[in-house]
Amino acid sequence: MKLFHYIIQGRVWRSIFRTGLPETNYRRSLVILNNFFLHIHPAKVKKSTLKFTTTFYLGGIAFGLYLILLVTGIYLMLYYRPSVPLAYRDMKDLEFVVSNGKLLRNLHRWSAHAMVFIVFLHMLRVFFTRAFHPPKEFNWVIGVFLIIFTLLLSYTGYLLPWDQLAYWGVSVGTNMIKATPIMGEKIRFLLLGGNFVSENALLRFYVLHCVVIPLFLTLLIGVHFWRIRKDGGLQGDLEHYAEYEPDIILGKNIRVEQRESPNQSLVGTGNDENK
Amino acid sequence: MTKINKNPLEIEFGEDIQTTPVRVAYVKGETSIAVERERDEEVLAFPHLIVREVLLFEILLIVLVIISLIFDAPLEDIANPLHSPNPAKAPWYFLGLQELLHYFPPVVAGVVLPVLVVIALVIIPYFRINLIRDPFWTGNIRKKFIIFSAVVLLINSPFIIARAFPIYICSAFIYILMVVPLLFPRSSGLAARIRKIPLADWIMIWFVLVSLVLTGIGVFFRGPEWRWVWPWKSGIYY
Amino acid sequence: MTTRNPLKNDAQQSRRKFFTALGTGALAAASTGAVVLSAEFLTPNALFEPPSRVLVGKPDQYPPGSVAYLTEHQVVVVREGAGYFYALSAVCTHLGCIINWKSQEGVFRCPCHGSIFDKVGEVLGGPAPRPLRHLALSLTPNGYLQVDKSIEVEPSEILKV
Repeated sequence: MKLFHYIIQGRVWRSIFRTGLPETNYRRSLVILNNFFLHIHPAKVKKSTLKFTTTFYLGGIAFGLYLILLVTGIYLMLYYRPSVPLAYRDMKDLEFVVSNGKLLRNLHRWSAHAMVFIVFLHMLRVFFTRAFHPPKEFNWVIGVFLIIFTLLLSYTGYLLPWDQLAYWGVSVGTNMIKATPIMGEKIRFLLLGGNFVSENALLRFYVLHCVVIPLFLTLLIGVHFWRIRKDGGLQGDLEHYAEYEPDIILGKNIRVEQRESPNQSLVGTGNDENK
Repeated sequence: MTKINKNPLEIEFGEDIQTTPVRVAYVKGETSIAVERERDEEVLAFPHLIVREVLLFEILLIVLVIISLIFDAPLEDIANPLHSPNPAKAPWYFLGLQELLHYFPPVVAGVVLPVLVVIALVIIPYFRINLIRDPFWTGNIRKKFIIFSAVVLLINSPFIIARAFPIYICSAFIYILMVVPLLFPRSSGLAARIRKIPLADWIMIWFVLVSLVLTGIGVFFRGPEWRWVWPWKSGIYY
Repeated sequence: MTTRNPLKNDAQQSRRKFFTALGTGALAAASTGAVVLSAEFLTPNALFEPPSRVLVGKPDQYPPGSVAYLTEHQVVVVREGAGYFYALSAVCTHLGCIINWKSQEGVFRCPCHGSIFDKVGEVLGGPAPRPLRHLALSLTPNGYLQVDKSIEVEPSEILKV
């Protein structure tokens, strides 16, 4: 313990962690506010949002799954080569030769399936609790795009093992794209880099799966979280947005005064007091 | 006209807008309506939120690792462009779409319907009707019932014509669920709760049910050449 | 960008508008150029795909009234009676799966969604929208049968040998 306290008070430690141990509420707030990774959180949260039954933690689970997928994906990238026939051979390698390769591949696959399922449940939760009320409408739209990107990520990853399941699943799917009017054939040609599912398609799907879509997804997730913070955090309650749309909640023809922030007090102008 | 002594939060109306300007609330002194919101207790994010997040991630990881240790991800033979497997099934989250393909041409099942679904999802928050949780069966119930039944029939007609039985059977099921509580107008238990579900929720429930049923059929009840199979007789094909 | 600054005269305002328009135009041109450049980059010019013209043996190798399913080329060569040949593409017209020839039933069946085709490629059942493609069949000077998978012909065009 004495060594621990000695280190804590040293210059090196204090240059990295600028506040002391989180023993006061002020310092506990600084843990959040002074941290690059954590400062998307507010320093204080409403107690009701911490309950399991408010959100079922689905958004958090989805984000956790995303992190697991990122890490296991990077591990797998070290042994996988996106070319024919090496792709399939590397899958067999991962399964039988690489230590813990089977575990990591399984982790990646099951996390992917779980993520598709969980984001769907998250969408249902947000819908049934009406958490998309104004001013959070656009966050819902971002969420819809996130779910589309999740499905695309899953679909592009599906081709990578280059087995019969992968090849024909993608073949049939891209043939459906051909059915799109006007642009269908061109889109399919660009996506596959050719007329059939081939080496070009594998490489393109690999780049889409490992670089392009994760980049978009990460950026959109950032915006998604930021918007929640900007709109006041996980409120979980419809009545709080009454300030924006009182005529819906109170149901009467009420004129609303202009204000910039929800916390501005609604004091009367006082003009009629002198009448 | 002084109203200083009135209850601070009373909403006042007047006919003459010059003398009694309409206000949302008249508040005296420095108290603000924001005081109301303090009732929702706040706690520090560190440690309460952070510890829950860390715990959640750990439990998630443990559960997934256990699943990964027990169940293996599939890996079939190497891709052979010259031979299609029988059946050639998409990943489970697309099997609903593939089942839809059985009833509609690829343009409809693969392009039109998914695009319509996405558009419908995107515009949800921009309709105020979806925000108010008004129970569906209010007002002139008889008239509403007739119009509603007609609309349901109209929307399901393309599915009935295409003989997409999963969809119209689900619609019938939801329709029955919505209508049966009307036979119990005075009860206060389950029937009352179902009666109070707003239309927006019913539409979403219908959408989820249809997706589940289509996906379920695609996973369990379709075999070679997309023919109907009973999984307890022939096993599950994937 | 179009707000008037009362301290500037008309000549200065129109100069500002001109340069704004010039800058925006340049940006638009550059962006269009970038998009076209990307699209051209992404469209492959060289494709390493199997050749479309394949030799499928000599006519004598096909007994009369036979249906020869050639898996390695995804082609079916049919000989009707004495010397009437035609070639069918083994790709299902629904969503591109490879069909199978069921000799006992005398039909082609697609494993993906259950489309059924008869010996001339007509649709007998299932979701396939069009009959199977007939491919150009010709005889090389050396006497070999050659199928060109990139040329589709009418079902009435048959090769007489």
